[in-house]
Amino acid sequence: MKSSNPSKQPTHEPMSVGSSAEMTSEMTSQREVIVNLESGLHMVPCSRIAEHVRDFEGSVCIMVEDRTVDAKSIFDLLTLRAPMGTVLTIEANGPNSADLVNGLVILFERNFETE
Amino acid sequence: MHTKHGIAVSPGVAIGPAFVLGVEDFRIPHRSVSVDAVDAEVVRFRCALEKACEEIGDNEKLASEQLGKQYGAIFGAHLQMARDPKLQSEVEALIREKHFSPEFALSRVLGQYAKVLLNLGDMYKADRAIDLYDLEKRLLRHLLGERREELANLTAPVIVLARDLTPSETASLPKQFVLGFATEVGGYTSHTAILAGALEIPAVVAVGDIVTDVSGGDTVILDGVNGRIIIDPDEETIQEYRDSEKRARSVAKRLVSQRSLTSETIDQERVWLMANIEFPEEAEHCNELGADGIGLYRTEFLYLESSREQSEEEHYEAYRQVVNAFPEQPVVIRTLDLGADKVPSQMPQLYPVGANPELGLRSIRLSLNDLERFKTQLRAILRAALLGDVRIMFPLISSVIELRQAKSTLNDVMEDLAEQGVPFNSEVQVGMMVEVPSVPLLAEDFAREVDFFSIGTNDLIQYTLAVDRSNPAVAKYYNSADPAILKMIRMVVEAGEKHSVPVTVCGQMSSDPKYIPLLVGLGIRHLSATPHVIPQLKEVVRHLTIPQAESIAAYARKLELARDIDTYLRGELNKLCPDLAK
Repeated sequence: MKSSNPSKQPTHEPMSVGSSAEMTSEMTSQREVIVNLESGLHMVPCSRIAEHVRDFEGSVCIMVEDRTVDAKSIFDLLTLRAPMGTVLTIEANGPNSADLVNGLVILFERNFETE
Repeated sequence: MHTKHGIAVSPGVAIGPAFVLGVEDFRIPHRSVSVDAVDAEVVRFRCALEKACEEIGDNEKLASEQLGKQYGAIFGAHLQMARDPKLQSEVEALIREKHFSPEFALSRVLGQYAKVLLNLGDMYKADRAIDLYDLEKRLLRHLLGERREELANLTAPVIVLARDLTPSETASLPKQFVLGFATEVGGYTSHTAILAGALEIPAVVAVGDIVTDVSGGDTVILDGVNGRIIIDPDEETIQEYRDSEKRARSVAKRLVSQRSLTSETIDQERVWLMANIEFPEEAEHCNELGADGIGLYRTEFLYLESSREQSEEEHYEAYRQVVNAFPEQPVVIRTLDLGADKVPSQMPQLYPVGANPELGLRSIRLSLNDLERFKTQLRAILRAALLGDVRIMFPLISSVIELRQAKSTLNDVMEDLAEQGVPFNSEVQVGMMVEVPSVPLLAEDFAREVDFFSIGTNDLIQYTLAVDRSNPAVAKYYNSADPAILKMIRMVVEAGEKHSVPVTVCGQMSSDPKYIPLLVGLGIRHLSATPHVIPQLKEVVRHLTIPQAESIAAYARKLELARDIDTYLRGELNKLCPDLAK
């Protein structure tokens, strides 16, 4: 299931557009979350994650132990072995990455409003 | 030359080149595409993806509204899968670099994903693989669906061979170029078969493997009378069929010319011959064939044609069109008979079938379970009833309580309309289908509460003899002439006579000329049949006297075996109308 991501590649450099104030948010943002879903990170939560990051201009990945998946791809997310209690690391690169990651953390905290 | 046997669902014979339709489901017609076609194929893939996304989005909305958010979320996940950037890039890479067809590329990529998920081992991940399967099916349907548009571009007459045809595909077959069709699956009473009859195209279903056995362009003979398809026939066989085709055509021509004659026996007993229809557009043609009205309008086809809920106005418009074709004659509108084999293909999730769909939540039970939809339909019927002799019929009634519930809903709707000042016909006749054996057994109880009965032989036979005719392994146990069926018809007629409730027979039995003398002899005076057989049925009625019909029925009822009854009736038809005997 590995292949290059056709969407925009992560940009670590400041975007040429936008005000300088935005440049501070160009950095990498990283946070940890705990899977608090009885049946683990199943299809519906994965789809919520993919939906949430879909329009993000940078790259987002989720890591668990030694594995890293692209959060924009539900197929990738589905391969995360993340039962209840798993600690995941979310990492985003790009404009307003902190907002994006915070949004994802809220999704996890609210249990994706599915359970 | 070799012959395949199936179930004859629409009479007639056709001889012509085979047109093998893009295969559905998981059989991919072509694995590779030419280098020049790569760009076009990528575009075709993107279009299919886009259409699938739209469709999933619609389903998500509908499922959320009607079933709850958690069901909508499943489609939400499917939507994210369809939009997955990796899926798109990997499929397109296979098309561009390896010249795979989009169907094959898609199947490969999704297959790999499914394998990865299955190998993860956890139970819940195996479930995800099933969702991938579902997505693959949907995308393939869109990809192959476009290929199927080739059907609309036909320029020469062909015989269509397909794994299966959906009702909408059947309905949209270009009649001038499609001489007939054969499908690998399907049954006599499946909605595709019913439509073939309505379209007057010879058809044979359930013939087994043909799509892989026959190449496009091979000459085939489609025998819709005997349920045969002959592949690569010899000259002699072709000549035989040509001769019989010629004879059949001249008989048909003569019969249609008699459309203005009244359907009555030699001793002047009126036998009403009405038509069964699925689409409002058919009504006008029924009129041309000399039908005495519409005896069964199967309104569920409004839903089988569309992925959406139908509005009151859409119902009303359809009913208005039918009544306009028959302003003076009865138009019997049957309320939705969805479920079991009639599930809108776009929304299977809304029709939980359970392990045994024929005994599950279907037909009137589904309507009583979803009163909003039921009331919408009843409002439209009551309004259209101002335009002519519209009658309401409830399908699959199995107990008096069910009938009362349906009638009480109808009363509620009338009260609502009256309160809102909407004009409607409060005098509309209300009847029920006789399809479940409990009804003939208690026919008198039901007769006290309805204005008419209509015997739906397809389901009545299925439930009485416990046989699914679309299952080739047991199809031989399905027989309209079974003594138990004749007894049930007689029970209904007797109860009807006692309570002045007219009895119609609809369903496939009344569309077969050999059963007409028997049914008339059993006391039936109203028949509703596939439109194109009406001229033939009228020919039989006009050659019959009532004492003769009664003696045929009496003799048939003495026979113990369905097979003997069948042979006897065929012989009697041959004596009455040799032209019509098969």
